[in-house]
Amino acid sequence: MTAITTSGLVKTFGPVRALDGLDLSVNSGEVHGFLGPNGAGKSTTIRILLGLMRADSGRAELLGGDPWADATALHRRLAYVPGDVELWPNLTGGEAIDLLGRLRGGLSETRRAELVERFQLDPTKKGRTYSKGNRQKVALVAAFASDVELLILDEPTSGLDPLMEAVFQEIVAELKDAGRTVLLSSHILAQVEKLADRVSIIKQGKIVAAGTLAELRHLTRTTVEAETAAPVTGLPALPGVHHAETSGERVRFTVDAEHLDGAIKHLSAFGIRALTSHPPTLEELMLRHYGNGAAA
Amino acid sequence: MTATVTRHRAAAGSRGGALTGTGILLRLALRRDRIKLPAWTLITALFVPYFFVAATRTNPTPEALHSTMDMVNSPMPRLFTGPSFGTGDLTIQRYLIAVYFVEFLLGAALMNILLIARHTRAEEQSGRAELIRAAVVGRHAALTAALALAVITNAVLAVLMTAMAVGVGLPAGSALLFAAATAAAGLVFAAVTAVCAQLTEHSRAAAGIAGGVLGVAWVIRGIGAVQDVAGGRLTWLSPLGWSQLTRVLAGERWWPLGLSVVLAGILVAAAYTLAARRDLGAGLIASRPGPASASRWLRSPATLALRLQRSSILWWGGSLLAAGLVFGGLAGAMRQGVATDLLGSGPDVLSGYLSLMAVGLSFVVGIFTVLAVTRMRTEEVRGRVAPLLTTPTGRWAWLGSSVLVTAIAAVTLLALSGLAMGAGAAAALGDGRYVGELTGAVLARAPEILLLLAIAMALFGFAPRAIAVAWAVLAYGGFIRFWAADLPGWLKALSLFDHIPRMPVERFTLTPVVALTVLAASVALLGLYGFRHRDLDGR
Repeated sequence: MTAITTSGLVKTFGPVRALDGLDLSVNSGEVHGFLGPNGAGKSTTIRILLGLMRADSGRAELLGGDPWADATALHRRLAYVPGDVELWPNLTGGEAIDLLGRLRGGLSETRRAELVERFQLDPTKKGRTYSKGNRQKVALVAAFASDVELLILDEPTSGLDPLMEAVFQEIVAELKDAGRTVLLSSHILAQVEKLADRVSIIKQGKIVAAGTLAELRHLTRTTVEAETAAPVTGLPALPGVHHAETSGERVRFTVDAEHLDGAIKHLSAFGIRALTSHPPTLEELMLRHYGNGAAA
Repeated sequence: MTATVTRHRAAAGSRGGALTGTGILLRLALRRDRIKLPAWTLITALFVPYFFVAATRTNPTPEALHSTMDMVNSPMPRLFTGPSFGTGDLTIQRYLIAVYFVEFLLGAALMNILLIARHTRAEEQSGRAELIRAAVVGRHAALTAALALAVITNAVLAVLMTAMAVGVGLPAGSALLFAAATAAAGLVFAAVTAVCAQLTEHSRAAAGIAGGVLGVAWVIRGIGAVQDVAGGRLTWLSPLGWSQLTRVLAGERWWPLGLSVVLAGILVAAAYTLAARRDLGAGLIASRPGPASASRWLRSPATLALRLQRSSILWWGGSLLAAGLVFGGLAGAMRQGVATDLLGSGPDVLSGYLSLMAVGLSFVVGIFTVLAVTRMRTEEVRGRVAPLLTTPTGRWAWLGSSVLVTAIAAVTLLALSGLAMGAGAAAALGDGRYVGELTGAVLARAPEILLLLAIAMALFGFAPRAIAVAWAVLAYGGFIRFWAADLPGWLKALSLFDHIPRMPVERFTLTPVVALTVLAASVALLGLYGFRHRDLDGR
């Protein structure tokens, strides 16, 4: 079952093509990481999914409905946290939470109190006096306190301190256990690595890679570092080996997943004394798509 | 070498430090206002030849000019125009100064209030000032740059107005005095706003307080002029009065402008003192904590709209109540003034006055409605509408209930100001019938205001970036109503505000009321349709 599907989504702003045939698929009950740098089209995608904007062409489906035509009905079943929360200057944080909760059809008082406590939010301050991080907390409490199937979070923790970031991650993990679907747009890779079941990487308005972290890692290279009894030779000539650097008995290289076996066999001929290998981090995955001066 | 550098730094820290960067900030301000300020000053100055031409056309003979002047010089109209000088030996230039001087003073004061609020408190409120202050910029640079901008702008205004006044036949010296007096009033209100900007955390509140001061200055100048055609004691207490008391074209004297300069100086010193005592972004009036949870009734887009507009509605209500009582109460003075006049029959002039005031009050409510819709646009652009529209609240529900709250508030404000004016007139004239009559007279204008609201809403729906066109619709209506008596009929018909009869001087007719109401409803529906089908802007 999919919670969100888009195919061939295009949105232009004047000469700028913000979305250029975007295909996104989010399964029900998963935490889906939506990755990309600023300006790649994450927020535009989310605004289309929320029915705040209409795509120029392409199809989008959210919880089995049309996000533009069925907006009101669909919004009963979702909650949204923007990356840059603006509050009403003369309403307190507590009033804003209650208002948003009630508009969404009511919120649980105990859940609200628990979240205010966990996020250490002072709900009596006026909207204009909150710092950036505290405004995010207000929106997070309002979203998490309502009982919805789908949470759409657009860089929700910008401005939060590391302790509150940890609270956020705990709560998202609990929601996942409770079977909720979360679309988590982010550029904090550690957060996505910890929480996401699957990720989609967006670049210039297109999804350039999508899948579980394991699948994506499979597509790319493992980094190997080793210390051997004798200096290693002939490594660059092996199939699938890249960026080999040797200095005396130490060697460091990356290798495609399907050639890992051959490379290790080659190494062992020189007498392995120490060996570390690690799968590509999300950061390396991202750099592969965006790095090397690629216009992002 | 090192010692010199150290001494230099120490000197910079103690001396000019607080003003470092003023020049750059001033250039930034000039760049930001490169359209706004030339437009304000030029348009204000162009009213000199415009009023001249209008006065010449409507008063083709010296006799006509004299009789108009006699009417204006009766006590009640002096509230709006006086004090006046040299009207015994009337020329068209003296007429111009006697009748229209106050309008120029108001224009200059408003320009300065908005200018200072925009460049001081609005910057702090938005957080841009933080970015600036963190750079190599002194504590007082922003305020100094804003005040310097005001001085430059007023100087430009004075030059333009002098040129225009010479163009309509004032001697150069008199033209310069007239222009300088206008600029001096502008400077006083720049200084008033500089103080207000230190008091509150919000630029709108700062401009509002300064606007209140302007209102008070206008009223006491006027009451003084009602007491005495050459300005009573109260006129001498008003900065607007000082500018008029220079007796342009009638025994000219420059020294009252010295009072303006001294007051501006004192206020600017006060603003610097207050600014030095507070933190960036803070006001002297601190904000208090509020309730931890929302009251039971805050649960729908309509109640949110009411909550957001509440304080604004109360402020406007209070001001209109006061204005209505004053305007109504002056009806007595009007009748007494007329009794000594040779003009027409008393009741006609009295109803003419009351109907003019009814129209004036309805225009004030018009300002309220346009402000309310532009505020909806601000809510959208700031990103405060998206969180609402991602709840089950639909677009029709949000826009519809926000506009409905404004519509009900506008009609209530009309009724309130009519009631207040009626009560004032009833008390002054000892005739209770005025209460009902004048409430009806103001309330009958509701369809105009609703149509204006609907047009603003349609702009919001279809062309949100052009929302300011609603101001042009209102301004055109005001222009046609108050200053353009001799324009062709079709130009007048284009105004929304020229179809409903002016009561009590004209008789009520139902057709235009119904037509405008139906039109307003249709345009409002169009606005809802437009908003339903466009992308939401903002973050």
